[in-house]
Order: sequence, then structure tokens, then C-alpha cells
Amino acid sequence: MPTVPTNAVPAEVTAIDTQARGPLLLLLGSGLLWLVVGGVLALIAAIQLHSPQFLADCAYLTPGRAQALRETAFVYGWLANAGLGLALWILGRLGGEPLRGLNWAVAGTLFWNLGIAAGLVGIATGDMTSFTLLQLPRYVLPLLVFAYACIALPGVLAWSGRRADMMYASQWYAVAALFLFPWLLMASQAVLLWWPVRGVVQPIAAGWHVQSMWTLWLAPLALAVLHYVLPKVSGRTLPAYEWASLSFWTLLFAGAWTGGRHLVGGPVPAWIPTMAVVAGSLLLFHYLVLVINCRGIMGAEGTGAGFLRFGFVAYVLFGGLDFLASFRSLAEGSQFTLVEPALREIGLYGAISMMFFGGIYYAVPRLTNRVWASGAMIGGHRVLVIAGIVGAVLALAIAGNSQGSALLDPKVSFAEMANQMRVSLLAHTAAQAVLLAANLLLLVNFLRSACCCGTSTEAPPALFAVESAKEGSAS
Amino acid sequence: MSTPSQPDPRADQASVSDEKLLAAHEPILGQQPDEKGKYRLLPLALLFIFSGMIFFGGTYLGRFSGWFDARVFNEYGTPPKAGAAAVPVDPVVAGKKLYAIPGACITCHQPNGAGLPGAFPTLVKSEWVTGSDERLVRIVLHGLTGPIKVAGVDFNSAMPGFGPGGGFNWSDDKIAAVLTYIRQEWGNQSGAISTDRVAAIRTKEAARKTPWTAAELEKLP
Repeated sequence: MPTVPTNAVPAEVTAIDTQARGPLLLLLGSGLLWLVVGGVLALIAAIQLHSPQFLADCAYLTPGRAQALRETAFVYGWLANAGLGLALWILGRLGGEPLRGLNWAVAGTLFWNLGIAAGLVGIATGDMTSFTLLQLPRYVLPLLVFAYACIALPGVLAWSGRRADMMYASQWYAVAALFLFPWLLMASQAVLLWWPVRGVVQPIAAGWHVQSMWTLWLAPLALAVLHYVLPKVSGRTLPAYEWASLSFWTLLFAGAWTGGRHLVGGPVPAWIPTMAVVAGSLLLFHYLVLVINCRGIMGAEGTGAGFLRFGFVAYVLFGGLDFLASFRSLAEGSQFTLVEPALREIGLYGAISMMFFGGIYYAVPRLTNRVWASGAMIGGHRVLVIAGIVGAVLALAIAGNSQGSALLDPKVSFAEMANQMRVSLLAHTAAQAVLLAANLLLLVNFLRSACCCGTSTEAPPALFAVESAKEGSAS
Repeated sequence: MSTPSQPDPRADQASVSDEKLLAAHEPILGQQPDEKGKYRLLPLALLFIFSGMIFFGGTYLGRFSGWFDARVFNEYGTPPKAGAAAVPVDPVVAGKKLYAIPGACITCHQPNGAGLPGAFPTLVKSEWVTGSDERLVRIVLHGLTGPIKVAGVDFNSAMPGFGPGGGFNWSDDKIAAVLTYIRQEWGNQSGAISTDRVAAIRTKEAARKTPWTAAELEKLP
């Protein structure tokens, strides 16, 4: 396997990092703050699954609203902020020049977070919409598009003004995510919220939105991180890099066509769910090439690589399960049950969030020019977050499985069904509590690292010199 | 770098600089054409897998696309032929379904049409059901209230209208179907009521807002 030649030992922390420190730490920090807020809401929503009377008298946190608040804080708060922060950082580094227009990013971050906060208040007071992953009230969405454009600006400038002619895979993915998300958000809010399409077209548009959020935005952001950090820590080129573009374009072209998989048995023409299966089978190219290219992460060493490894496995697992769930015979037993949230937990938490965690653990020491405040908290976070994700997914899957077969049997009453699921749902609540604890650890560790940056001399600059020791060791 | 044995978990070391990372991957994408043999063919195994997935996708699409027809909702279905006449609906079958909608007829008149003694009149062998269609259509369109004698028994309750302004707001063909059903079920053997008949009475009584009383109806033929 070819090794990237490492002759010189340039410093790893450059002006690109120091200059972007404030704005990017602001993005990552607000993401982590939303992650904890989302964790509290997730815990409330999880308790309500088995004890519906919990907070049922509080109009702001009734079960439907708690669930919508949780999802929104997680996706639009945590994933958006963290993903953008990492994408900007990667685009800046691969562009080879300090990021320009960072003031826009700071202003955009503030407006984005204000918009999310206003949106959450809107959801809590009853203005939520009925569309998964688009539950924010429509009046904050134009602000969000504007704020997103401001945050993305430095990334686009870094890409268009890059020093090298060619683009590396991380840049494809990051730039695609930067450009596609505003288009996606504008298109779906236009046809679903501002000028709602009528009848059958509406669930089709909503299904397209859900799958596009995944394949056109979140997955590209996470893959940008994976494709960047993997060769950085392993020191090797990707083994099948010449096919990486095939993988990329398959994701972009086939991905959104899988939207019909949410409409199995629905009042839509038969070809739409069929198309989802076909697009899913094409999407297997993407996963296959990705496995060939990024399998090196399985043997890579380091804190970030550990999280990326979990995320990589979860990503591929999610791809396979998402494809299987699009078949009508399986969807019959899985749709409208807790199997769907279990799948989403694998995708959004196991795959995307874990890859973002990996990116954050890799990036933050470079941004602060200082090692993480506590190694023990990193270890604690890793153990807890893995336990939490595995526990939550298994609990939901087991509950959903029994629910699916019970729903198909007219003799089983609703109360009986709820009794069957009770143990798994209690386990799910425990898993969400563990996840909340894990992410609190990460937030505290992040704040300690970020607040002291520049004041400590603990980290010798040489720590961030590119190691030449590994040269030749990998061949 | 002085302690390479155990890497610090608090910061990952980089093995390669960004410039080197870009430079190492640049030639692989083959910006120059392949004359120097610098590119690699897609391995045969991958090519076969990819072709297999495309073949699977194409076959699946051909089999279950429903000819991409917007009117085909079942993946095994075929599109309706152009010009084919719409299948006529049996009013008794359609009427039975309408009768059984919760909150509609079945709630008071019961599945067997016998009503509840003392509260709701029977439909079986009732002169109101099997007799004048003028009266029967009006009852369902606008409702009925007050005392009424059905099959020799006195009742005094109210029935909501199923026509304009009612909670169900049934169309002419639905009212025709449900009336035909109750006139031909449970041993009743009266003639069907057509959609046109309901439409004519609806037009005639367009100004009617309140439920009928038995006295008013008895003046009708």
C-alpha cells in the first residue's frame, strides 16, 4: 500500500488554525451545548414513551412536542453547528490559506442559534409542523437559510480560493454539503410550508426531505471528516482513491431517490416505493467503495480514530439496514414502529455524531494549540457514549420488533402491547441518561480546553509537529 | 516525539501534512490521461458486483413499477385500459359500508336494523323505510325530530341529517346507496332509490335547514 511521503516536518498548527480559533470554537461549542440540551429533551421524550403521564400536564412538553424539540435540537442544533465547524476547518486546511470572511461565520452562528432557540420556543408553544426533520415553525426557516449562508461563506471562499488546483475527497463532500443544504431547505420549506403542495404529493415531498437531509447534507459532512482524518492519522493514501468519486456521485444522485421508502403501503403510485428500492441498490456502490477506501480506519490509532471507527461501522450498517427496510415485505412489520427511531439512532447518533466526535477530538487541540484538558474525560466519554448508543439502539429495536408483530395481530390490545415493550423502553431511558452523561463530559472537557487556550504552556509546540517517526513504517 | 511508545490520548498526532496529503492523492485521480499506465482498471470483481446491482435494480423496476402509471397503487397491478368503462358499483355493497360507519346509521339502528326498543325505531318492515321514497330521502337529507309511529310503536327522539350542513355531508350517490341498502336488507323488499331521485329532492328542498317532523312528512305522497 502506497505511503504518503513525509520528508519535511512542517508544524501541524499553522496560522490557518490560530486565525480560525474563535469562530470555529464558537461553532463547535454551540453545537455541543445543543447536544446537551437535546440530551435532556431526549431523556424526557424517552421517559414519556413508557410513562405517558410524565410532564403530560405541562403544555410545552407534551410527548409530541418533547419528541419534536429533541429531534430539532439534535439535528439543527448539534449536527448543524458541529458539522459546519468541522467542514470550515477542513476546507480551510486543505485550501492552504487562512479562512477569509470569518466575521460572517460568527454573525451567522449567532443568528443560526437564535433562530434555533426561537424555533424551539415556537415548537413548545404549538407552532410545530408535522414533517419529520422539518418541525421548526416556518417563520424561523428563512432566517436559518440566511444564517447558514453566512456560516458557509468562509468555507466556499476557502474552496474557491484554494492553493492547489485539485480537490481532495473531503473537499467534494464538504462543498457539496455547504451548497446542497440551503437548496434543500429552501425547496422543502417552499413546497411543504409556504405553498404546500396538495394531497399525495405532500408525503412524497416529505419523504424526499427526510432522505435528502441524510444523503445530501449530514452524510457528506461526516464523510468529509472521515476522509480527512483517516489519511492524516494513518499516513497512507486511500487504497482505492480513484473510485472515490464514483462513491461520491452515487451518493448525490441516488441518495434522494430513496425518499419513497417511507411511503410503502401509502396512497402513492406503486413506482415511488419501487424506485426507493432501486436507488437503494445503486447506493450500495457508495457503501462498498467507501468500505474499500476507508477500511484503514479499523486499524488506525488515536482518540479521534476510535470514534471514527465506530461511526464508520455504524454508517455502513445503517446503509444496509436502510436498504433492507425499503423492501415492502420488511417495511410492513417495521414502519410505524420503534424500529424506525432505532434506525435513525444508528444513523444520526451512531454514524454521523460519532464521526463528528472523532473530528472534534482531532481538531480541537489544533484549534486551541493545546491538548485536551482531561484524558480521563475523553476515555469516559468514549465508554459512555458507545454504551449509550448500543443500548438505545438495541432497546428500541427490541421494542419495535415486538410492537411490529403485535400491531399486525388484531387480537393483541394496545395495553398488552405497551406492557410487552415496557422493559425495553425502560432500558432505552437508561441509555438516554447514559448518553446525556457522556455528552456532559464532552462539553465540560471542551469548555475547559477552550477557555484555557493560549494561557497554558503545557503543550510543547513540537507535539503538533507532523511526526516523521512513522515514515517508512507503513509500507 | 520523545515518548513515542504511548501516544497521548489528549491529542492525536498527524502523520502527514495537508500539502503532502493533497500531493499524494493528486496523481491517483489521473489528471493526465492513462498513457503512462498510471490508472487502475476497476477490478473485475467490483465490475461484476456493480453490474449485478444495476441488473437487479433494472429488473426490480421493470417488475414492480406499475408501468409508472399514477393510477397504479399496487406493485403487482396493471394500469386501467384507456376507454374502459368504470366498473359499476353495487349500491347494496356500497350502502352496507356506509351504514356501518361508526357514528352513522349503525350506532342507533344497530347492525340488525332493529333499532333500540323505546329509543330508536326499527328499519325492518317499517312503513317509513319500505314506503314513500319522498319521505325517506327527506329524513336522511335533513334529519327527523319529534313523535313518530313506526310499525305500530310510538317513538320520540331525534335523528341528525346526513345531507348539507350535517356532520357527514353525504353526496347524492352515497345517500342513494345507503337507502337502497336498507330497503333491500333484513327481508325488506322495496325498489332501489336512484342518485337522480335524491338529487331532485335535494334541489327541491334546498332552502330546508331544520329537521322534519312526522306530521310534515305525512302530508307528502
